[in-house]
Amino acid sequence: MKMTPRAVVIGSLLILAAVVFVVIYIPYVTRTQTASAIFRRRTPTEAAGRKLYIANGCVYCHSQSVRSIDWGLGAERIAQAGDYVGDQPILLGSQRTGPDLSQEGGAHPNDWHRAHFVNPRTTRPNSIMPAFEFIGPENIKHLTAYVQSLGMKNAGRRMQRQKHWKAKAVEAYEAGPDANAHWLAENIPFGWRKIANPYPSTVAGLARGHKIYQDFCLGCHGPVGDGMGPGQPDLYPPPLNFTILKNRGISGGILYYQIMNGITGTAMPYFKRELESEKIWDVSNYVAVYFINQSDANHAPRGIDTAYEP
Amino acid sequence: MTTPDENSSPGYATARAFCITSACWMVIGAFVGLLGATELIAPDIAKNIGWLVFGRIRPIHINVVLFGFVTPGLLAAAFYYFPRLLRCELFSEKLGVFTVWVWNLTLVAAVISLAGGHTQGREYAELIWPIDVMVVAAFGLVFFNMVMTVRRRTEPLLYVSIWYGLAATILTAAVYALGNVIWRPDSGALAGMADAVILWFYGHSIFNLLLTPLAAGIAYYVIPRVVLSPLYSHRLAMLGFWSLMLVAPQIGTSHLLQVPLPTWLKVIAIADSIAMAIPVMAFLINIWYTAKGRLGEIHADIGAKFVFTGTIMYFFASLQGAVMALPQVQRVTHFNNWVVGHAHIGVLGFAGMIALGGMYYILPRITGKQLYSRLLADFQYWMVLIGVVGFTVVLTIAGMTQGNAWLNGHAVYRVLPMVHVYYIVRAALGLMLFTSAIVGLYNILRTLLSNPGGTP
Ligand code: HEC
Ligand code: HEC
Ligand code: HEM
Ligand code: HEM
Repeated sequence: MKMTPRAVVIGSLLILAAVVFVVIYIPYVTRTQTASAIFRRRTPTEAAGRKLYIANGCVYCHSQSVRSIDWGLGAERIAQAGDYVGDQPILLGSQRTGPDLSQEGGAHPNDWHRAHFVNPRTTRPNSIMPAFEFIGPENIKHLTAYVQSLGMKNAGRRMQRQKHWKAKAVEAYEAGPDANAHWLAENIPFGWRKIANPYPSTVAGLARGHKIYQDFCLGCHGPVGDGMGPGQPDLYPPPLNFTILKNRGISGGILYYQIMNGITGTAMPYFKRELESEKIWDVSNYVAVYFINQSDANHAPRGIDTAYEP
Repeated sequence: MTTPDENSSPGYATARAFCITSACWMVIGAFVGLLGATELIAPDIAKNIGWLVFGRIRPIHINVVLFGFVTPGLLAAAFYYFPRLLRCELFSEKLGVFTVWVWNLTLVAAVISLAGGHTQGREYAELIWPIDVMVVAAFGLVFFNMVMTVRRRTEPLLYVSIWYGLAATILTAAVYALGNVIWRPDSGALAGMADAVILWFYGHSIFNLLLTPLAAGIAYYVIPRVVLSPLYSHRLAMLGFWSLMLVAPQIGTSHLLQVPLPTWLKVIAIADSIAMAIPVMAFLINIWYTAKGRLGEIHADIGAKFVFTGTIMYFFASLQGAVMALPQVQRVTHFNNWVVGHAHIGVLGFAGMIALGGMYYILPRITGKQLYSRLLADFQYWMVLIGVVGFTVVLTIAGMTQGNAWLNGHAVYRVLPMVHVYYIVRAALGLMLFTSAIVGLYNILRTLLSNPGGTP
């Protein structure tokens, strides 16, 4: 074959055209255009938030597609082609420097997002996400609206739950410490409330609790547990001041249950995916010993027998 | 070294201008990369300075290194070897220099718009429509100059490098317009999964139809000349060229193996990722056999040294790429720093190294004088080599840590402290690369503008 300029240029263009026909055009004309069951259109505010999401490069750190092998946030809902029919451009992302966001909507209430966008280190002490305070409060609202819409109809259901419980949490908080402590406890299944922390209070256990507290809780509940962490100004109801729990019927089981599941309607997140069982017992005992000053660790009735004791 | 006849060189104004362009943007690109890397360690370092936020720095980094440093560096050498191989003068140096101005203007516009948050949000296709048009126009101008030079050639046979130069520029102009959905100025995107397909078709085509052919063109030019031996096989060169044209545009969907797309499309991408072995090995065997037994000559010429090292990096980038396209492997490697490692070994280790090699090879030949400093060039060589190998090692470890931790059910937040230390090492290596870019800029500017050095 003789490599004339014509052969090179026309030949390579023809090959490209053929390849484009097969790998671009055919998939395009046969693409899924039916929306999936959870699909819904975005409101104007959410669309404005999406523009901010694009302009500020959230896509470089956050994916929006849950894979069948994922365990993280939203793993209950594996991505379907029909989820994306309204996305132009599509924002699948190529890096997970931060967690997947495709089912983020309703995982937290709005005030959590506000605090997190102003500075992620407040709600998440080890975060490496940039602070977005510079986009201004109005834009933070739009961005939050967009993030809360991710997951579409599923997110809508979660948001309704957040709204429902937010009203109750605010009401309880405003009714004073007694009422608040009572409200917090009354939503916990009875059995849990009676369980004491099964592990003994040890120096090592408290040191572990301290480390976990610093990595996960400090930004809200504050270094001394009074609820005055740097996230406090943006959160309502504000992070719990642990000292109010003293002599108000607190138990290891209550602390464990709350840390594991979070408190829907408040900024208090769930930690069931991030902290294994012993870590939750350790941090709750740390809170009990240092901040509430009242620990039931290793007292009767012990809910669980522990195989290893020092 | 050069023959006397080569010293009576014409001005090569376009090649010179592309050299300076590349060297300057390498400094900027490396700096921006370093800034991004620093923000991943100390996220509040540029707190609330909107245009320095990581999400804007990151697209500036990739656009600047791809279109500011690597591509102009590769084009500099092309504007040197086109006239030489075709035994005629360049069609128009004036047009060439004009193209370089357009090019730089485009880059400045790109940086400013991205910093201001004006982006279409599609990786590698961020630039807004007016700038997209400028990019396509710039590639069009380069292609036009090349084709017109080909038409006035006095050498009837077209050498391999010419094929690659022509194909790279015209295909990139086409693929760029297609991938940026240029017929939709407002969004620059299709809707739904189809958008991802066209995006990654374009994305990997930038690496495989722009950087790879231009870099291969330089290797095919420089290596035989430096070792003073004819190319090992023209037949193999032809196989390498046509198989690249056929296979390379088909592997884009290998970025999308884990999302809901038709299986047949993924199968094509995986099969062709493995079939990339044909163009890759045809090219590498050709170059390596040409150089066989003559590594001393390569070592003696700093340009060839960069180029040859680049070919080795190409081997590793491609091997890595083929492995990453296997679904089982991608379960671990996708979404994490392993891919960033692959990106740097490919774009910096392979294409960037060859761009630098091309420039260091042509500089003495277009100025008729020795390089300002061979020592500084060697320094840059070692810094880039250590930097890119270091990146690959560190980012691969970080990526495997992330990937395996996620597979094991750990939340992303829990894994952040596990990769922190690798981010620090990456930034330290980035500082080396940044320093070497400054040294390179100084060396190139001195060579071109105020060179006391004797004739080579
Ligand atoms: C440097 C990469 C980076 C960028 C850019 C980034 N994030 Fe994040 N993001 C993270 C990391 C890391 C986390 C996990 C730690 C945390 O929660 O802060 C995170 C967490 C989040 C979360 C909380 C997820 C959860 O429920 O735990 C949301 C919501 C979020 N990011 C939204 C955004 C938005 C919106 C943008 C753009 C305005 C953005 N991020 C930009 C890295 C990033
Ligand atoms: C984003 C802020 C935030 C973070 C982070 C956070 N909390 Fe909370 N926490 C809250 C808020 C808000 C409440 C509920 C306040 C209310 O309803 O009055 C709360 C309530 C609680 C309670 C409920 C006590 C009870 O009596 O029911 C416990 C226990 C608790 N937090 C422990 C923790 C621990 C341990 C961590 C770290 C692992 C943590 N929190 C992290 C904001 C936070
Ligand atoms: C030739 C064989 C190659 C194959 C099969 C291949 C395959 C791949 C695959 C599968 C990915 C996506 C990984 C993921 O997201 O999980 C990828 C990413 C990437 N590749 Fe390659 N690659 C090859 C060569 C190259 C070369 C030579 C370069 C550079 C010139 C390169 C540059 C890149 C870049 C920059 C990315 C990152 C894209 C992003 O931002 O996500 N690749 N490659
Ligand atoms: C000068 C030559 C360089 C080239 C050609 C280059 C190329 C690239 C490319 C193609 C990407 C995209 C990777 C992906 O999406 O997977 C990237 C990302 C990146 N590069 Fe570079 N780079 C260079 C230098 C540097 C330097 C000196 C640093 C400093 C440490 C650096 C730090 C980064 C960072 C932090 C990212 C973002 C990764 C992420 O999203 O997590 N780069 N680079």
